[in-house]
Amino acid sequence: MDTFLSTLSQLGEGFKFTIGIFGFTLLFSIPLGLLVCKGRMSKVKIVSLLCRLYISILRGTPLMLQLFLVYFGPFYLFKANTANVKIGPYNYRFIATIIAFSLNYAAYFAEIFRGGIQSMSRGQYEAATVLGFSRMQTYFKIILPQVVKRVLPSVSNEVITLVKDTSLAQVISVAEMFTKASAAASAQVSVIPFIVAGAFYYFTNLLVEVIMNRIEKSMSYYS
Amino acid sequence: MSENNNDIVLDMSNIHKSFGKLEVLQGIDLQVKRGEVVAVIGPSGGGKSTLLRCATTLEKVDYGKITIGGDVLCDTIDGHLKYCDKKLEKEIRSKFGLVFQNFNLFPHFSVKRNITEALIHVHKKSKEEADKICGGLLNKMGLEEKADEYPCNLSGGQQQRVSIARALATNPEIIFFDEPTSALDPELTKGVLTVIRELAQEKMTMVIVTHEMSFARDVADRIVFMDGGVIVEEGPAYELVTNPKQERTKTFLAGY
Repeated sequence: MDTFLSTLSQLGEGFKFTIGIFGFTLLFSIPLGLLVCKGRMSKVKIVSLLCRLYISILRGTPLMLQLFLVYFGPFYLFKANTANVKIGPYNYRFIATIIAFSLNYAAYFAEIFRGGIQSMSRGQYEAATVLGFSRMQTYFKIILPQVVKRVLPSVSNEVITLVKDTSLAQVISVAEMFTKASAAASAQVSVIPFIVAGAFYYFTNLLVEVIMNRIEKSMSYYS
Repeated sequence: MSENNNDIVLDMSNIHKSFGKLEVLQGIDLQVKRGEVVAVIGPSGGGKSTLLRCATTLEKVDYGKITIGGDVLCDTIDGHLKYCDKKLEKEIRSKFGLVFQNFNLFPHFSVKRNITEALIHVHKKSKEEADKICGGLLNKMGLEEKADEYPCNLSGGQQQRVSIARALATNPEIIFFDEPTSALDPELTKGVLTVIRELAQEKMTMVIVTHEMSFARDVADRIVFMDGGVIVEEGPAYELVTNPKQERTKTFLAGY
């Protein structure tokens, strides 16, 4: 029983980082995704091309590899010493994780948003135009609210995947939950820590599901 | 509004418009006087909708001059087409209303907000003022109890009447209708046509692209028959429908 409680408290320690990676990634990747999406749809050829390339590469290579690259890159490429880099309480390990995750997820979000924006009928833009709405008003009042509703199911998918993907940070030894679980498992020679970690992930995602369903429901007043 | 019945609300002259190699409008002249109801008829692909889209700034012409409510939207001088600046364009947009074939209501807004949103955020009316205008219009459309409904809960005919109310809200000088009943079944068509008929009686200036021949004949003052990017024939509504002069008009009307 004591071992179980200590496992719980160890995983709980790690869970803070898991939630940290999750939260910061959402915070940065969604706006960045929107920006990349706008760039991808830009009429300026070079901007659109660069954004396509960005999406293609970040979706086309493993997130784990991207993690390594962001974490080790500065040292191997520029001999930069990242050991002392700190933002607030966060060391470079954690910062690199957030950077890699945000860049990666932004690519997926960009494509989801593009799908949503392109599914809007031209008539919505035209109606807004003849009513005299400015481009900004049209975008923020008419288009975006409808796009949010349309992309919500796909966004839920990504958010749930993200909860699980945080475990990848183990490869650069971020002290997140999966790293803790692995350590506990080998120390105890037991699979119990993995099962407990699984329960943590599952219940986190159950919560995500409930929240996303609520949001979807709050927008179901129109179709 | 001016009392002078002769003043021209819409003046389009020598309008040309091509999509790629296809010249959809080949020199159209159309004038609409205040209080006049003009129906535009003709086969699909004849350029009717494109003409309407050019008049409502949704499409840019390649050549010609458009004046709406005395303001010049675009003009061609020495072969050079020039559109007015954004500020005037916005002002011109407040002078007309457009009713679409498939309504294009904003689905995430209630009926009331569909009508008041532009009043409040474009025309800077107070919320109270906008609500009052909205109430009056919904009353006129027979939809006073639908103010808080969302478009998806309304029939097609009701949605189209909301979109007419939306177009009327800003008190435009002219309203364009782009096949307003084409997406509706006959039963629902009636209600929409009744509303347009009432507007005609109130001397609202209107340009209506329509396939409803008997409606055009009864409600319009003048009918314009378009085919192949040109105006083939135009004249007083009743006369054009009952006694067309051109062969092409005759052939077209024989189909109805």
